[in-house]
Amino acid sequence: MAREIYAYECTECGTLHYPFKMRCRNCGELEPFKFKTVPLPKRGKLLTFTKVYNLPAAYEVATLGIAIVELANGIRVTGQLEVDDPTIGMDLLGDVGVVREEPYNRYWGFIFRAA
Amino acid sequence: MRDVYVAGIGITSFTRLEYPLAEIAAFPAMLAMKDSGLTGIEQVYVANMGAARVNHQTALASAVVDSLSLTPAGAASIENGPASGSAAIKEGFLAVASGMHDIVLVTGAERMREVNNLEATDFIATLTHPLAEYIYGVTLPSHAAMFTRLYMEKYGVTERHLAMVAVKNQNNAMLNEFAHLHQPITIEGILDSPEAMTNNPYVAEPLRFFDACPVSDGGAAVILVSEEVAKSIDRPLVRIAGVGQATDTHAVHERENPTDLLAVRRAAELSFGMAGLTPSDVDVAELHDAFTILEIAESEEVGFFAKGEGHIALEKGETALDGRLPINPSGGLKGKGHPVGATGVGQAHEIVHQLRGEAGARQIADARIGFTCNFGGFGNNVICLTFVREN
Ligand SMILES: [Zn+2]
Repeated sequence: MAREIYAYECTECGTLHYPFKMRCRNCGELEPFKFKTVPLPKRGKLLTFTKVYNLPAAYEVATLGIAIVELANGIRVTGQLEVDDPTIGMDLLGDVGVVREEPYNRYWGFIFRAA
Repeated sequence: MRDVYVAGIGITSFTRLEYPLAEIAAFPAMLAMKDSGLTGIEQVYVANMGAARVNHQTALASAVVDSLSLTPAGAASIENGPASGSAAIKEGFLAVASGMHDIVLVTGAERMREVNNLEATDFIATLTHPLAEYIYGVTLPSHAAMFTRLYMEKYGVTERHLAMVAVKNQNNAMLNEFAHLHQPITIEGILDSPEAMTNNPYVAEPLRFFDACPVSDGGAAVILVSEEVAKSIDRPLVRIAGVGQATDTHAVHERENPTDLLAVRRAAELSFGMAGLTPSDVDVAELHDAFTILEIAESEEVGFFAKGEGHIALEKGETALDGRLPINPSGGLKGKGHPVGATGVGQAHEIVHQLRGEAGARQIADARIGFTCNFGGFGNNVICLTFVREN
């Protein structure tokens, strides 16, 4: 089954949040969980990036691309970047894949490639 | 609110220490008690980030107060990421300012070289957003690298400017017997020579090995007292005149302008406002240079230089030991070291040392007003302190 990553839309004022917050940063609604999930768009632009050489213990690769991407609806996300020669502003296409594997756990998240 | 003074200071070497964490906290505390001549401690705050995770020890303050034979004084541990040290100083400040206590010990300690570098990097990375950052393999060097890239694009900061921060701070550290790195470096050696790319490889592009601080063990302590106590002992009078703290979004990508460090800006404004001083009054500053770019960016956000001009002031030598506003005379996190939970207390130690005129070869002449910026998370929890020498 295809996995999806969601933004959280405040049902009171419509503000989108990513990641999830308990309380809307715009209207400050105090009734908990007044958010509906909205699938995030897959297309975006590269805002900034790095290629990391000394990785935390869980990664068995030589380097890892990390990026902040502004998606088509203006929401920004952090994700992994699989582009050989990235440039700021380039168009990207996000996919949801395994971004971290531990002995008993797999974590799913954004992996971006050139559009 | 009552005035609060720093009556005593103490520090360990920031390096690899082969004794237990509680003793790393207790050792500088004893130096600070000896320095002030005060032993009637009423309350102890212990700043630390990694005890539970790295050293498999919880409730550190209870262990420290006992090791110091200060029971039955009150004691509490303060964990606030890399800003734990200054957060503990703030608690100590409040305890004295409120009138609840007259003599408070604040000690910070970290022992993170017990684990290997990968585990240490992972431990620090646990302060990032668990679902939106950490799972991707995001580390503090990755945040600093992505921030640096934007700073380069927007303001013309180059790898040479970053190397200049590294050289300045490691050279300052040469004059500090407690510093972790006693390794003189040159721009030639880390940037220009044929060997430079081997000496100084990328850790997270565009950041290189010498752009990051070392992983250190270490401890530092201050004793905070009321005016009455401060004036009853024969020590120089250094007052904590301003305390400012501010926070920002947990996930870095949520910040409207990703080259702003708004929590630094606000914490500094609050600190200066409380002290009734301005950035131009400062004679010496310790800024949280866990990565070279952070010294440049913080020097702008706290108000020393206009946004985007910190690297120009650096180029002109204004932040050097003999410059108009020396930054990180101790060597900073870069040269002196970064035992995370102790770092904020270590910064205060250096400023008090400077304001007392006791800093030896790295003494800033006639320093009267000092400032620290302790940067927690990737700028999501920041504390700035302003210190004034009174007599
Ligand atoms: Zn709302």
